Order: sequence, then C-alpha cells, then structure tokens
Amino acid sequence: MSIADSITLPSKKYKQRATIFSVSAVVISLTCIYMGFNPISFFTEFHYVRDLLGEMFPPNYHVITDDSSIPFSILQTLSMAFLGTLYGGAIAVVIAFLAALNTMPYRIIRVLSSITLSLLRVVPNLVVILIFVIAVGPGAFAGMLTLVISTIGTFGKLFREIIENCESPPGEAIYSVGASRVQVIKFSIIPQILPSLIANFLYAFDVNIRTAIGLGIFGGGGIGFALQMAKSVMHFKDVTALISLIIVLVFLVEKISDYLRRKILGEGKLK
Amino acid sequence: MIEVKNLTKVLPNGRKLLDGISFKVKKGEFVGILGPSGAGKTLTLRCLNGLLKPDSGEVIIDDELGIKHDICKVNKRELRHIRQRIGVIFQGYHLVKRLTALENVMIGRLGQINTFRSIIYGFTDEEAAEALKALEQVKIADLAGSKTGNLSGGEMQRVAIARAIFQSPTLLIADEPISNLDPSNAKTIMKLIRPLSEKIPVVGVFHQPEMTARYCSRVIAIKDGKVFYDGDPKLSNKKLAEIYGDELNLIEEREHMYMPNN
Amino acid sequence: MFKGYNLKRYRKYVLPLVILILVTEGASIVCKADFTSLEQGLLKGVSFIGFMFPPDWSAFGEMVQPAFQSIVIAFLGTVFGTLLAIVFALFAASNITNKWVRNITRFFIGLERSLPEIIIVLLLIAAFGLGPMAGILTLTLGCIGMIGKLLADVIEELDPVMMESMASVGANKLQVIIFGVLPQIMPNLISYTLFRFEINIRLSVILGAVGAGGIGYELDYSFGMLQYHRAFTALLVIIAMIFGTEHLSQRLRNKIKMEGALK
Repeated sequence: MSIADSITLPSKKYKQRATIFSVSAVVISLTCIYMGFNPISFFTEFHYVRDLLGEMFPPNYHVITDDSSIPFSILQTLSMAFLGTLYGGAIAVVIAFLAALNTMPYRIIRVLSSITLSLLRVVPNLVVILIFVIAVGPGAFAGMLTLVISTIGTFGKLFREIIENCESPPGEAIYSVGASRVQVIKFSIIPQILPSLIANFLYAFDVNIRTAIGLGIFGGGGIGFALQMAKSVMHFKDVTALISLIIVLVFLVEKISDYLRRKILGEGKLK
Repeated sequence: MIEVKNLTKVLPNGRKLLDGISFKVKKGEFVGILGPSGAGKTLTLRCLNGLLKPDSGEVIIDDELGIKHDICKVNKRELRHIRQRIGVIFQGYHLVKRLTALENVMIGRLGQINTFRSIIYGFTDEEAAEALKALEQVKIADLAGSKTGNLSGGEMQRVAIARAIFQSPTLLIADEPISNLDPSNAKTIMKLIRPLSEKIPVVGVFHQPEMTARYCSRVIAIKDGKVFYDGDPKLSNKKLAEIYGDELNLIEEREHMYMPNN
Repeated sequence: MFKGYNLKRYRKYVLPLVILILVTEGASIVCKADFTSLEQGLLKGVSFIGFMFPPDWSAFGEMVQPAFQSIVIAFLGTVFGTLLAIVFALFAASNITNKWVRNITRFFIGLERSLPEIIIVLLLIAAFGLGPMAGILTLTLGCIGMIGKLLADVIEELDPVMMESMASVGANKLQVIIFGVLPQIMPNLISYTLFRFEINIRLSVILGAVGAGGIGYELDYSFGMLQYHRAFTALLVIIAMIFGTEHLSQRLRNKIKMEGALK
C-alpha cells in the first residue's frame, strides 16, 4: 500500500526518539564525568549558596553614600558605553562601507576589510582589554577602547549586511543622471539604512552597558571595577548593593533603548 | 442527544448576550445555527462544549455510556472526559501545523489515552491504522504524512473531520467550518459532515443560509440572544430578511454564487 | 561662494549636534580619555603583541585538552540551560500560566538578563569554589535568561485557536503543550540554541579565565607566568575554536532554515 510508505509508524518514531534520548543521555553523562561535574551536587551543596546569601544580605546601601566614588563609577560605566558605542559604531560603519559589495568596487579592499572585521569579532574581549591596559594603563579609558573594538567586531558584519541589502534602483537612478559614487552613497544608501543604523546604535549601547560592567572586573573601571574591589575584600553586603544598582541601571538603559528603537523603527524591533 | 435549556449570559451593563436559549438535537439531525453578527450564535456553540460558561442554564450531553452530564456544571476532570466524545471543527487553521495530518487525527483521542503513555510512548500502531481509516473516509489518506501546514484550507478541514470521526463521538459541533473556504470546497465539507449526522447529533454555526438550506435537516436562527426560528432549513426570502435585517444584502450576494450550479 | 546655498535647512541639526558634542566631551573627561597617551601607548600595545610572537609551538599539544574542556563546558551549559529554558518559557507565557506566575517568572528572567555573566560566575565561585561547576551553572543561567525570554515571546504568539481546538477534544494542558506548543516552537528553539551555543563558547573562555577552567584559564595562567609565547598559543587556539564553532553553527542553522521552510 503506497500510503503506508509515506508515513512512519508511531512505533518506529518511538524507537527513533528512544534512541536519540538514550544516546544523548550517555553523551551528557560521559561529558559530565569527564569534567568532574555532578549536577546533583548543586542541590546537595546548596548550603554554600545559602551561606553566601546570608553574607550578602541585607545589602549595604550606605556604600553609595559613604563612598563618593560610586555615583562617579556609574557615570564612568555609562560614559564608557556611550563613547565605545559612538566611536566603535562610527568606525564599524566606515569599515562596513569598505567591505560591502555595492559600495566598494575594489575587491582587495573588500577582502581586507572583511578580514579585519572577522578578526576583531573573534578576539576575546579579555585579550583586547589586556593590551589596552598595557598601552594606556588600567581604568575606564582602557575599557572604553576595548568597547570600541568590541562594537566594531559585533556590529561591523551586521552593518555590512544592512548596506548590501539596500535596494539598488534608487542608486541606479542616481547614477543615470551622472552622479559619482559618493553621491550615490549619500542620497541613496544612507537614507535607506539610517533608521536601521540608529536602532542598532541604541541596541549596541544596551549591550555595551553590560559589557562595560563586565570589563570593569578586569580593570576597565566603572561600577564593575568597584564591585570587584568590594568582592576582593569580602564586603559582600556592598557587593549586593552594587549588584542591585547594576540591575536598576541595566533595566533603565534597556527600557529607554527599547522605547527609542520602537519609536524609530515602528513596531518591529531589530534583533 | 444534546439538550440545551435556558442559556443566559448577561453583561455587567445589563445587556443580554444570551437570553434563554433552548433547543434539543437528536441523533439523525444536522442542525445549522444562523443569525446576524453578534446575535449569540458562536457564544451558544461555545457553551456546548464548555469553552464558555453561561450565567445560568443547562447543556445536557450523553457520554459514550449514555450517561447524561450537564456541561455547565461539571468539574475539570468530567469536562475533559465528556470532551473526548465531542468532535469539534473550528473556522480557519486550528490544527497543529507542524504535525502531519495523521498525527493531527490521532490527537483526537488524547483525552481517551492515559496521559503518561501519550507523552512518553506516543500513539500505538493500531491507533495509527484506525486514524488512517478515518482519513480514508474523508478521502485524503494519501496526504496522511504531509505536514498539516502544507495542506489547503479544504484539505485541513477534512483532516479536522477525520479527527472527529476518530474520536467515535457522541456529538459533533462546528464553528463556521466553511466560512474560510471557496464554494467548491465548502460543498465538499458539507457533503462529508452530513452523513455523520446519521449516528450522532451535529450542530454547526454557519453564515451561509444557502448551504444550510441544502445540507442541514433543521435550522435554528438566533437573533438578539434569543431563538428566533427553529424548523425547516429552507427559508423564504421574507424569513431571511427578518433574521438578518440589514445584513441581508451580504447574504444575497453569496446566494448568487452558489445557486447556478445545482 | 555660499551665497546661493540655503544653510537654513540644517538648522534643526544644530542643537542635537551640540548636545552630542557636549556629552561626548563630558564622557571623555569622565573616562579620563587621553588620546595623546593612546598614540604613545598604542605603540607599546602593538609592540607587545609583536613581543608575543611567535607562538610557542610545543605548547599546542597541551592546549588541546583545555580547549576541549572549554567546549564541553559550553556544551553542557547549553544543554542544561536549553532544557530549563523550555520549562521557564512555559511558565513565562501568558497563554500557558496565570498572570501571577507569568509575571514573576518574567521578572526573574529579566533579573538574570541584567547581570553580566562575569558577576554571576564570580558569585558562584564564591559559593561553590573554582572549577567547571561555576562555569556550567553560569552558562545554564545565561541560557535560561536569553532562550527563556525569546521562547516565551514565541509561545505567546501562538495561535490560541489551535490550543482551544486541542483542549476541545479532551487533551489536558500537558498534552496541549507536548503535542501542540512544542512542535510549533521547535524551529525557533533549535535556532536560538545554536546561536546561544556560539555565545557560550566565547563566554566559556572568559569565565575560564576567572577560574572556571578550560583554555581561558590556560591563557590567564600563561600571562600570569609571563610566558607570553605560550599565551599567544592559547590565543590562537581560542580563535580557531571560536571560528570553528561559529562556522559549524552557521551551517547547521542554514540547513535547518532550508528544511523548515520546504518540509
């Protein structure tokens, strides 16, 4: 019966699922054993978490008022993220234009730019901040420079795709009246990509706030650094207070970023 | 048999959405419920299988053993038990698109299978064979292995009918099953639903009086939340005008689409 | 020469531009941005990179195991995280649970997403000590945050008629989830999981550097020991790892996209 050929019997499907499940379970168990990771110990050793929580609560909010550098740290983190997004985004756009098929006719430049973007994307932030710390010393400046590189890496490829996805008819129309390549870029491509670009800049700022905090731990300055300091001297109640500050900060930035993005793009958010 | 007694639903501002709806449908009857928009047709239908709870009234349905249950008063477990034997066809795409037609048919008996078994093991081969027979009955057995999302509207509704058949139901309800279909598919669906009424009561809400006139054994018209008419499915123009009021010109336009190809 | 030019239309850009410049200046001061020192320092930095050249070729063999460990940490974090994310997503969907459970779950998911992974791993290390557990747990939580939210949004967009239809024929909530919800979200789930796996590989490296093990730890250790050539070897292995998993993940995702569309 040809109909029976087109369907798989439920019993066979069950055997398939059972096999996949068993194989996965075995693989996962083996890898856990290999890493020395016992998921059960999360529950048996949970008292460590309770102990830590005990030390962390109640949060010590005096750390904000006593230490006048904390509000400044927040400002630093915001500044790091802002400048990193601004410069990084701008450079990313430029390199994206150099790497895009429809704006760069010279293949060699396109290839070099693409390789640059890939390299910057793949190198971990850890290494980048290390190099900048060596170059300009620890602090928010090194962090900001790392964010510049990180932003180029994350968004360079995306910007290039946005540019390449532009519709060409407007460009062709402008060419046909005798315009130069630069003019085409200015009047055809930039208007098309501008909303998307701005939305991505806002998104980048959102992401970079979180990254900036993380970089602070490695000497990048800002509130992440303050947190690391508090933790290294075991002032866990200060740590909790700072964490709650971070949560509020990230939440606010995310909401504002979402709101502005929605206003620019309509109701369809990017990424 | 299904017995509806005095369904009432009142909005907070006093407006009566349902005002004492009562009727009985026996096995052998294919009842079409007509009426203008907002009259309460769909609300009534949703009371029949418990999707909506009226403020007062009873809906009494027989289960597979012949025991009578009042849908409006049963608890969750009983409701699920009764629903196993109620076939439903909704408007538009209401099946699981990423599952095959066969799987969607087998879903019909999920209520009758032990939960644990259905989740861990799935369906048995015997159930699959019976589901295939149901698909043969609606003449799309060759599409059994296709993903339901790839089927046309008419084919999908046939799968829905097959699902109902697979349940061995004691009652079949349909909420505007042909409203999204072209005339040819609509006729096919009505032709497939009608024979089912020989064994069980079938109640459907329709917006197409020309269809109910040709395929239903009885028509109930609901207007302003009340039963306005209950009887012969062939309605005179005068009666149609009384039921639909201003909406009549929309209905009349469609009549011309159907009538020529008798 | 500019007489014919109507510069007035640029007037509306003046104010935002001035604000932008002011904010940029302020931010630069706060960050102690000093671009002259960058010029000088860049030379130091770049020469440092040159100093790390060439990589210690003999160390490549020692890097294989730690690299594999980092991949495994990312793998386990993704597996456990995705499974839990499905559970959380179901609890965070308004068409599956009641309003209170849904909002509380979304709150916790949002909380997790606010904290950078570094902070989470440091706290977990403070609780459970150094080692892969802290790393795997952190990645698991990260998955729950990202995939949980994305899936919850997808679930909430599902057609309610489909679920009503299943409930109307007698399926209970669990069956509606297994037979209705899960099949429909499967393509999204696979796509998100592969995407998150890419992220988790990078995180695994960074988390390793603070003590979760793997090749990140090797990198940090080499730097600490001033064995810069060895560190460079580790860096090359890391780059290869990230490139490799990215490439694999992209190919898998493209394959799924094609099959999902036509099948």
